[in-house]
Amino acid sequence: MANECPLLQLKNISKVFPGNNKVLEDISLTVNKGEVVSVIGPSGSGKSTLLRCATMLTDITGGEIIYGGKCAVKADKGKITYASKTEMKEICKTFGLVFQNFNLFPHYSVLKNVSEPLIVNCKVPKAEAEKKAREILARLGLENREYAYPCELSGGQQQRVSIARALALEPDVLFFDEPTSALDPELTVEVLKVIKQLAAEKMTMIIVTHEMEFAKEVSDRIVFIEHGVIVEDGTPDELFATNNERIREFIGKLGGKK
Amino acid sequence: MMMFMQLAQGMIVTVEIFLLTLLFSLPLGLLVAFGRMSKIKPLQWLVKIYMAIMRGTPLMLQLIVVYFAPYYVFGVSISGGYRFVAVIIAFSINYAAYFAEIFRAGIESIPIGQYDAAKVLGYTRVSTFMHIIFPQVIKRIIPPVTNETITLVKDTSLAFVIAVAEMFTIAKQISAKQASVTALMVAGLFYFVFNYVVAYIMERIEKKLSYYR
Ligand SMILES: Nc1ncnc2c1ncn2[C@@H]1O[C@H](COP(=O)(O)OP(=O)(O)OP(=O)(O)O)[C@@H](O)[C@H]1O
Ligand SMILES: [Mg+2]
Repeated sequence: MANECPLLQLKNISKVFPGNNKVLEDISLTVNKGEVVSVIGPSGSGKSTLLRCATMLTDITGGEIIYGGKCAVKADKGKITYASKTEMKEICKTFGLVFQNFNLFPHYSVLKNVSEPLIVNCKVPKAEAEKKAREILARLGLENREYAYPCELSGGQQQRVSIARALALEPDVLFFDEPTSALDPELTVEVLKVIKQLAAEKMTMIIVTHEMEFAKEVSDRIVFIEHGVIVEDGTPDELFATNNERIREFIGKLGGKK
Repeated sequence: MMMFMQLAQGMIVTVEIFLLTLLFSLPLGLLVAFGRMSKIKPLQWLVKIYMAIMRGTPLMLQLIVVYFAPYYVFGVSISGGYRFVAVIIAFSINYAAYFAEIFRAGIESIPIGQYDAAKVLGYTRVSTFMHIIFPQVIKRIIPPVTNETITLVKDTSLAFVIAVAEMFTIAKQISAKQASVTALMVAGLFYFVFNYVVAYIMERIEKKLSYYR
């Protein structure tokens, strides 16, 4: 039964910041298990806000967010209702978020960044958590950086650690907010490689990105957002062949950069 | 010889004032910082007033007020043993105000992204503070805390206003009696060495925390 539910459903999400600043309007999006969805759109269109709303870092002002069939949060006319505390804890375990600027914990070693959340929040015994962290780090090509501190790593390595940190909690869905836009082209490649590897392993992912070639290659669907509305939601082929003038222009501009 | 014995006794009192003040004012300062950053407006205002008074009036006056308050406000007679307690109370609430500002600046300097990351990783508000924020705050506030701590060493001599026989009070008595400045010189040397040790310890802590940026 549970398997048939989409992993994530956003229903008519809207977000209005104080001062009547409407950033998201009536966003609906369904993501099924194993799907990779890329979110593209111009700067300021509300992509980060969408991820922050979906991960409940920001309160929505309208709509409903459903994880695996369970309503996490619902907002209507200024009234916001979250699931109960225990339900929320379960729901929050089903997703992870990778930030543009990594947000690693600077006072923890690489190993501790990945293992500590397991120990503190999931009550996993230390030895087990570290074993798991080591396995994931090795998978992402970081096996000999376990005892380094974030400040001693390149941006690409830091981003891979932050991906490892998210993966350690075994989320069903992983969100990425422009995971490579703080990186040099070279380092971008190594991070994109990791994400492609995850896609091959059928990880469900929602990725905000400006890397058009990558989005085309890795995604099952691409969503184009502008001014806080979904303008188009389709397969990469559909999107790259769209008649919508704005999208063509946007893709052309980014594609042309290379 | 007699002089050194007496000075040594004063030294112990000075060290006691110093250690007890740190012991109470640091945690109290953290609590005050929370009050200062609280979303509850009345609490915020209360804390602001408290801080303004503590930082805006002489510590010497605060010592006198704390010492005489039980008598004038509550009509309780003041026992001799209260002198030392009054010193600790006055110093602790005074230094807490300064430490609170240091804590607040430290806490506010931690990037918001740390909170976001912790929340998504399942940390509760309390465990975010304990595991992620506070350890980073400590590293950042060591230099200003060192400054305050060194000031505290010297401020302990103010206890003389309510006749607590710390180091400096005794040194002054001796030097008046002997009509020589030797005792005062010894006292000065003591404060200097004390501060040197304090600075050294703080520097070691700072070094120990320098394994990350
Ligand atoms: N905390 C906030 N308070 C008020 N307005 C905000 C806040 N966060 C974002 N906004 C506004 O929301 C709009 C969308 O921002 P958002 O960061 O979601 O865009 P984005 O699509 O991620 O852009 P970029 O590609 O540059 O990252 C912007 O106009 C921004 O000013
Ligand atoms: Mg953004």
